[in-house]
Amino acid sequence: MARCPPEGAISGFGRPGATEMRLPRPFTPRLWPDGRTGSKLAPIMTQATVWLAQTQFYTSLGFLLVFLAFEFGLAWALCYFRVRALAGRDAAGWLAAYRYWARVFALVAVPSLMAWLPVLVQSGALWPGMPARTAEVLSPLTAVALLSLFIFKSCFQGAMLFGQRRLSETAHALVVLMVAVGVTVWSFWLLVIFSWVQAPTGAQLMEGAYLVYDWRRVVLNPALPGNAALFASASVLATAFLLMGLTAAQTLRRPAEDGGRLVCRSAAWAALISACLLVASADLAGRATAQLQPAKAAAAAGYRVSDTPGDLVLLARHPGQADTAQVGVLPRGAERWLGRDADGLRGLDEFSSMEPPVAVVFWAFRLAALFGLLLLLASVLLLWRLWRAGYDPGRLSRPGRWGLSMLTFSGWPLLLAGLAYHYFGNHPYAVQGSVTLSEVVGEAASAGLYWFSAGQLLLFALLAAGLAQLLRHGARHGVVPVARHRGRA
Amino acid sequence: MIDTLANALGLGMHDPGFWMPLLAAALVLAVLVAGVVLDGFDIGVGCLLWRAPSAQRPRMLALLGPWRDANAFWLPLGLGLLVTAFPNAWGLIAGQVAVPLGVMVLGTLLRTVAFEWRLRAPLALQGRWVHGVALGSLLTALAHGYLLGQVVVGYQRDVAHVWFSAFMALCAVAAYGLLGATWLIMREAGALRLQAAQWGRGLVRWAAAGAAGTSVALAFSNAGVFLKWTGDEVWYTVLLLWGLMLLCFVFIEMRLQRMIMRSDRRAALPFLLAVLVLLAMLGGLAYSYFPYMVLDEMTLWDAAARPPALRLILSGVVVAMPVALIFNLWVYWGMFGLSRPPQPPPFPARPADDTPASGTEAPGISAPDASAPDASTVNELAAGVTPADPPPVKQASAG
Repeated sequence: MARCPPEGAISGFGRPGATEMRLPRPFTPRLWPDGRTGSKLAPIMTQATVWLAQTQFYTSLGFLLVFLAFEFGLAWALCYFRVRALAGRDAAGWLAAYRYWARVFALVAVPSLMAWLPVLVQSGALWPGMPARTAEVLSPLTAVALLSLFIFKSCFQGAMLFGQRRLSETAHALVVLMVAVGVTVWSFWLLVIFSWVQAPTGAQLMEGAYLVYDWRRVVLNPALPGNAALFASASVLATAFLLMGLTAAQTLRRPAEDGGRLVCRSAAWAALISACLLVASADLAGRATAQLQPAKAAAAAGYRVSDTPGDLVLLARHPGQADTAQVGVLPRGAERWLGRDADGLRGLDEFSSMEPPVAVVFWAFRLAALFGLLLLLASVLLLWRLWRAGYDPGRLSRPGRWGLSMLTFSGWPLLLAGLAYHYFGNHPYAVQGSVTLSEVVGEAASAGLYWFSAGQLLLFALLAAGLAQLLRHGARHGVVPVARHRGRA
Repeated sequence: MIDTLANALGLGMHDPGFWMPLLAAALVLAVLVAGVVLDGFDIGVGCLLWRAPSAQRPRMLALLGPWRDANAFWLPLGLGLLVTAFPNAWGLIAGQVAVPLGVMVLGTLLRTVAFEWRLRAPLALQGRWVHGVALGSLLTALAHGYLLGQVVVGYQRDVAHVWFSAFMALCAVAAYGLLGATWLIMREAGALRLQAAQWGRGLVRWAAAGAAGTSVALAFSNAGVFLKWTGDEVWYTVLLLWGLMLLCFVFIEMRLQRMIMRSDRRAALPFLLAVLVLLAMLGGLAYSYFPYMVLDEMTLWDAAARPPALRLILSGVVVAMPVALIFNLWVYWGMFGLSRPPQPPPFPARPADDTPASGTEAPGISAPDASAPDASTVNELAAGVTPADPPPVKQASAG
């Protein structure tokens, strides 16, 4: 594959305005004239390098996402528990629930605080051409994101976890609220960055570098609402199953306390509501994708030939190819989520090899949809069973409780599959429509980089397993609380 | 000097295009120095964990506890500033050293997570997370040294330079280990101090070798730096700096030697000397590099983001930095001297018959929160059983 898309590839989009787009100048820093720079590559190596970098970056993003989702959901759940504990009939139960789950939050918040570091470093190390092109847009966004993270973390998180004794009830509830707000602000900026590369608005590519002309349009880019809605609803869904799963695991050992009942009630309702919202936001994001990334939409639908009926295909053996066995075809069912231009629907044949990897996007989308629907089904079933049991998880059948405890981490596959769909859907672009991955990717894939990717995957898996083990132990014997005495040891 | 620089760039002294990159670079340097010194003893103690008998390890980690949050804050802050304020240099550098950068970050991630999760793990599993802290610290130190080696030789990766960087990686472990050992000597009396003095003696030579290696490689692989060092006005300053570093190393060695022989009240001296050496080395590096970001290729001003973006970043920093710094800096007041045990929190007197089951108390009555030490610890502390040297395990996870 060529380093840059040929001129014809861009104009082949057939979109008015596409020809106005200027091709970026290849990034040649003219450092070391003997050609030792990382960016002078034999094109033949590029494909393998791009894919190694893509999978590595996806791993880092996935690690960040699963912990950030738990942190986001738990922060708002804790805020709810803490506010309910201020007054009312069940205040003591809510306070007990707050105390237990604050310790789980403390477990989750640590990797979530550090998980953006690999993402930040690899965004430069794997894509060395990116900073020179997009710094004007992404640097201030990153800086604002990091500074908001530092401020909220250092001001409020310590006070929330270690300072309850020194604060009044209301002040502590306020601090818990501020922690939740902080996680939301931080996630918001990350989502802005993630969305802007899918829909680069508010900035223009001039001589190989983006220049901002309207910050409002950069921040509120058209891909943001869909992505933010997806993140928020999927996070709450994942956290609701974490809450219910751990509470059910507790009741396998001992009868549920007041706190457990209250947590189960609110988590069951939160699961159902967020699952419904997830479906709605998938529709919202799908329609935005149809406009902004028609190639991704076509790949997800397996829609090949333009201007033919947009059938909804459930399964296909070779998605996006001419002779493929298809299962479960719903005639014209996908037209709502397919890109359109003046001639009609836009299929994969319009993109002249600038489309994302069809099989990956196709299957990641189906996996995400499958997991989402399964969780929706599970939350309906659970709410019904729990409602009949008076929201006491201890009154579910023993296999039922065991099954529910197995669902503790069921949000993670959903999040990872959804991320795979969104992330690989942007391939082969680093910034949709203008900057390709192969022009910003670093040096040829070396053995060191392969080993590093494997090691990173292993480390992430070990940390995830460690969290599962700590939580399992916490469900049996209670989570270990930690005191922190500033300046004393 | 500053105005000649501004003239050379064709910019005015008060031109934001001139002073904003300079300010950003000064901030990055300040955070880098703070990170190397403050996070350094943390990394060093982590590197020493595997050499300590397993009975001592919880105490070593407990000593780090109060500064862990604040220490973990420097690398992300410095990295974030570097990446956002100097994107051009970042794109150039990061691509060259992708693997060591990645190892550094993963090591930091591992040691932070393992440290926090160890506190929250059941006793039987805490040993596992200690290995996590040790491995993470070692990876971080190795990566720092390798990166330093690569920076010094200008990112060359033929066999000789890779071996030099690998040697620097080992020396960085030694330097951090020295910092950690001298810090332990200052913080704790008894068996741990004796052991730390022995570790320190073994490590000080390797740290000195690393400092010498950095200087020599920096001078001889970059003609410009050599010229700068041997200029008319500065050669005696450079010699003085080298002499100072040598003296520091010798002094550290002597102090450590004495510390093994007899107890000494001025136990902070080796730590301060080690810090001085690191400061001298970082200062020398910064002096050699200025005004370049990538030696002889890219100045600060070429590396920096364009003024509009930089203005946004710096204004964000100006707003946020004081808040974050105040919260993180006031933690460091108790970093020096012998360690002080924490005080038990003041529990209001409670009627003896009113003892509701834990976890279901009414919120109004002095609810023990996540930070409440359990009754046995409080009683012990209140009775003065463990005034100076609290047992390590209870320290780590009181409550």
